[in-house]
Amino acid sequence: MTRQRILLTLGVLFLVGTGSSGLAQSNLEDADAIVARANLAAYYAGADGRSEVRMIIADAQGRQQRRQFTVLRSDVEDGGDQKFLVSFSQPSDVRGTVFLVHKHADRDDDRWLYLPGLDLVKRISAGDKRTSFVGAHYFYEDVSGRSPSEDLHRFVEATETHYVLEHEPREDADVEFHRYVTWIDRSTFLPTKIEYHNEAGQIYRRVEVLAVEKIDGNPTVTASRVSDLLSGGQTDMQFRYIKYDLGLPAEVFTERSLRNPPRQWLQRPTD
Amino acid sequence: MTTLTEFSIRRPRAVYGIVLLSVLALGAFLGRTQIDTDPENMLPSTQIDRLFHNEVERRFSLHDAIVVGVVNERDPNGIYNPRSLAALHRLSHSILALEGVVPPDLMSLAQADNISQEGEGVLRFEWMMQEAPVTLDQAAELRAKVDRLPLLRDTLVSGDGRAAAIYVPIVSKDLSHPLSLAIRDLAAGLDSDDDFHITGLPVAEDTFGHDMFVQMGISAPLAGLMIFLLMFYFFRSVQLVTVPMLVAVATVVASMGLLTALGFSVHIMSSMIPIFLMPIAVVDSVHIMSEFADRYRPGADVRRVIRNVVEELFTPMLFTSATSALGFLSLLLTPIPPVQVFGAFVAFGILVAFLLTITLIPAYVVRMSPSSLEALAARGEVLESESLLARLLRRLGRTAVVHAKPIIGVALLLAVVSALGVARIQINDNPVRWFKENHPIRVADRVLNQHFAGTYDAFLVLTFRNDEARAEFQRAAEAALSELAPEVAALIEPRLATAPALSNEDLDAWYGDLIAVIDDALFDVEDPEDQDRLARLLALTESAQSTGRYFQRPESLRTIESLQAALATTGLVGKTNALPDIVKVVHRELRGGRAEEYRVPDTAPAVAQSLLQYQSSHRPQDLWHMVTPDFASTAIWLQLKSGDNQDMSQVLQALDRELEAQPLPAGLELAWAGKSYINVVWQQSMVQGMLKSLLGAFVAVLVIMTLLFRSWRLGLLAMVPLSLTIVGVYGAIGWIGKDYDMPIAVLSALTLGLSVDFAIHFIARTRSLLRESGSQGIALEALFEEPARAIARNAIVIAIGFTPLFFAPLVPYITVGSFMAAIMAISGLTTLLLLPALVTAAGPWLFPDLPLAQLNQEVSS
Repeated sequence: MTRQRILLTLGVLFLVGTGSSGLAQSNLEDADAIVARANLAAYYAGADGRSEVRMIIADAQGRQQRRQFTVLRSDVEDGGDQKFLVSFSQPSDVRGTVFLVHKHADRDDDRWLYLPGLDLVKRISAGDKRTSFVGAHYFYEDVSGRSPSEDLHRFVEATETHYVLEHEPREDADVEFHRYVTWIDRSTFLPTKIEYHNEAGQIYRRVEVLAVEKIDGNPTVTASRVSDLLSGGQTDMQFRYIKYDLGLPAEVFTERSLRNPPRQWLQRPTD
Repeated sequence: MTTLTEFSIRRPRAVYGIVLLSVLALGAFLGRTQIDTDPENMLPSTQIDRLFHNEVERRFSLHDAIVVGVVNERDPNGIYNPRSLAALHRLSHSILALEGVVPPDLMSLAQADNISQEGEGVLRFEWMMQEAPVTLDQAAELRAKVDRLPLLRDTLVSGDGRAAAIYVPIVSKDLSHPLSLAIRDLAAGLDSDDDFHITGLPVAEDTFGHDMFVQMGISAPLAGLMIFLLMFYFFRSVQLVTVPMLVAVATVVASMGLLTALGFSVHIMSSMIPIFLMPIAVVDSVHIMSEFADRYRPGADVRRVIRNVVEELFTPMLFTSATSALGFLSLLLTPIPPVQVFGAFVAFGILVAFLLTITLIPAYVVRMSPSSLEALAARGEVLESESLLARLLRRLGRTAVVHAKPIIGVALLLAVVSALGVARIQINDNPVRWFKENHPIRVADRVLNQHFAGTYDAFLVLTFRNDEARAEFQRAAEAALSELAPEVAALIEPRLATAPALSNEDLDAWYGDLIAVIDDALFDVEDPEDQDRLARLLALTESAQSTGRYFQRPESLRTIESLQAALATTGLVGKTNALPDIVKVVHRELRGGRAEEYRVPDTAPAVAQSLLQYQSSHRPQDLWHMVTPDFASTAIWLQLKSGDNQDMSQVLQALDRELEAQPLPAGLELAWAGKSYINVVWQQSMVQGMLKSLLGAFVAVLVIMTLLFRSWRLGLLAMVPLSLTIVGVYGAIGWIGKDYDMPIAVLSALTLGLSVDFAIHFIARTRSLLRESGSQGIALEALFEEPARAIARNAIVIAIGFTPLFFAPLVPYITVGSFMAAIMAISGLTTLLLLPALVTAAGPWLFPDLPLAQLNQEVSS
């Protein structure tokens, strides 16, 4: 069995786009097929890409924390393995903190962490992936991936613009949600809204796309938000200086890059 | 004055109608009664410590919490056995689903996060107990994990492993009692042999409010019934006894109705209003009825007799009512809103009772049937003057006269002994102690504080302010801006102009905004020189932001650590939890988990990066309970084993000493918050306020007494019983060692008000008898007939009438019951023993306008 990794939310998170889908709206009813298309369309745009992310984490009182980081991505195989390098530039106290992720279709991801303040490289156990991503309301799994095979998908309806799908986890104990519902754009196959329901039937968490732009021919999410509807906090993400098909070399995604970030690729493209 | 009585005698039905209508009108509001049990409301809503406490709750997103304890004393592994852990797991998850709980902030092993080593050099983040362990080995593994996390040890699981705790944050403290019952039911439904305990200050307070309401419905009516029975015993006439009861009920309903109608909530204090008003309302009525029963003879004109009785008693009753009301009005001098409300409405009730006494009773008496009147009179003749009480009182009177000097001597001695007791009074309060020893909340409190570091919390809050650095940055940034090309400066200028005026919570985010703007401009600007300047401005802003993040600096964390160490030496603080504890654990695990790496790292970036890892947990929000997102303010959590204000006060003093020896770095402000601290604040203001109001009332009563008797000598004499009573009662409290707490403080007003009554009656009657007879001996003899009986009956009725309070489950009610008895006993005895002794010994001095001197000689010879 091919363990496809689809990252619905990752699509929202990072560089997203689709080369294949045209402008015409599709017309599907098979939930698994839509999920597979969304996986490809939302996640594997170009052979590689970069983006700068500005993250504004706000608590219920509106108090903000900011993070700024650059993400480099390279696909090993479309719909399969991928590599990520995430390098923090703001706030200045965490500048130079780097995450390296080797995402695998058929086994647990490899994750590394570099903390310049402690001059320390650590491997991080895959463990539980529904932990916060650096204090944001996004989960690590929103970054590193939730396999479509972990959930059962059900087609709910096709609206004028979206497919509405419902997903239930195969293993209840591993996750905090009871089910979630996604809205997938019928023309771009980008998931534009995800709502998580808890045991009590409340929607307690929402991920939504705020802006989509076509970049290098790929419809790409340039702003998104996740809201914690119970606490009232939210995290906004803005994606800028996006570029696809840079020809990122493989050594960018090695442990060497943790201590010596590849400046050439992290700096903003000037063209 | 007596026109009211006259009207009542002539138009009794009209009086009934008016009284009934007014009482019903006010009573209608009782349905809208609002209960308020929050001791925080002992402080005005604008009180500075209270405002800060609320600010701290907001700043660190803190909620009041119910503490649930799971204790296993039998299993050798304590709660670290599969069955107990499964129950704990199940209970935590069930509690999360309860309405009114704040789920993300619930603290329990089942909700805790763990950071640990997974093999060589691999860091693992996971739930501490996502599923309950099924084997003993797994349970032991869990224990090993918990023991590595100082934040959890003695907080979530006791060091001895016998007890685990769930801290249940709630959206509103009013929900504490219903939620604690819901949790108790959940626990009862578990498959478990463990003991479950529920406590915490909010639960104690809210449960007290609930029980108090119940008691208001049980104790007050029971006391009423008791008083009724006692009076029936004395008067042997249902009719005679019914009126005072009606007066009491009407008074209570009218006062509580008005209180509700005016929009006041019933606080712990005001719930006692009925209990306070009952005896006071009964007292005057008993005087009138008693006098009436004595004077009425068959065939006499009822109207004339009652008119005479009211006329004779009007002045003393007016003054006893006025002085009692004054005693309670003096509570307005305390800066504590619920106490002020209490004082005002008891005073109001006393005046209502007075009005009712001079109207309702005459109206009632004139409508009594001839046969009832005859029965009453017949009973009066036979029983009254030959009763056991009457004989005892006559003997008492003789004793007072014969042994005047020894009695005065003994009284003086007792006063001195009592004064010594007053000096020993311990000022202390603890809402948990408002319950009896065996109350489940007291038991839970005892058991859980035996196992854990403490279930009472207080917060020591440190805030960094550096307005100078902020202003300096602004100057430097503006200077840097002026060097830039105008079109580049224009990109930055608008943002710089929006700077918060001072260093406050918005400053850090503003620096972040500015950094983003400069960062963007840096990309757009072509000129290399401007790029350099922008880069310098960026560095300047970043450095200003870092500087503002005071509690990311290692030296700041060490300041916190030294405060924690100082607090630990008091022996009263079970444990403190603070930001350094988080940083040290993460640092240790990042460094491979060795114990020697449990320390604050050396640089601010190292601290910031450690915290970034902490934020990558399941519960990143936990960080903000200890530090604000701008890292300019931090809270040290204190776990105290005792909720005694005295202990909290000692902690405050210990910290003051520490700060004197080791002052805080410049720019750092320190302040306290938390329920335990707030309780200390209102208690201090109450003790001072009570002293002020007691002294104020004392002086006012002295003035009134002097005016009433038109003699400062008699004024002083009237103060003797109440002075002795107050000194005696509070002296006894000092000697017994009972804490001077809120109920006891407030009872001083009652003492003052009630104990002056007897003296007024005594002196007024003595003087008129002296005038009539011109003989001290004859006057005193007459005094120990009806007047003494009225005083003694009152004392007995009230003292015994409140014995039902002894059976209340709430300590303040028991306290009130004991006080009533003590006040009646001391002031009654003083009035009937010491006052006649003083009159005997110093009659001519006391009554210089009466020709007693030579008569006195006659009596003694």
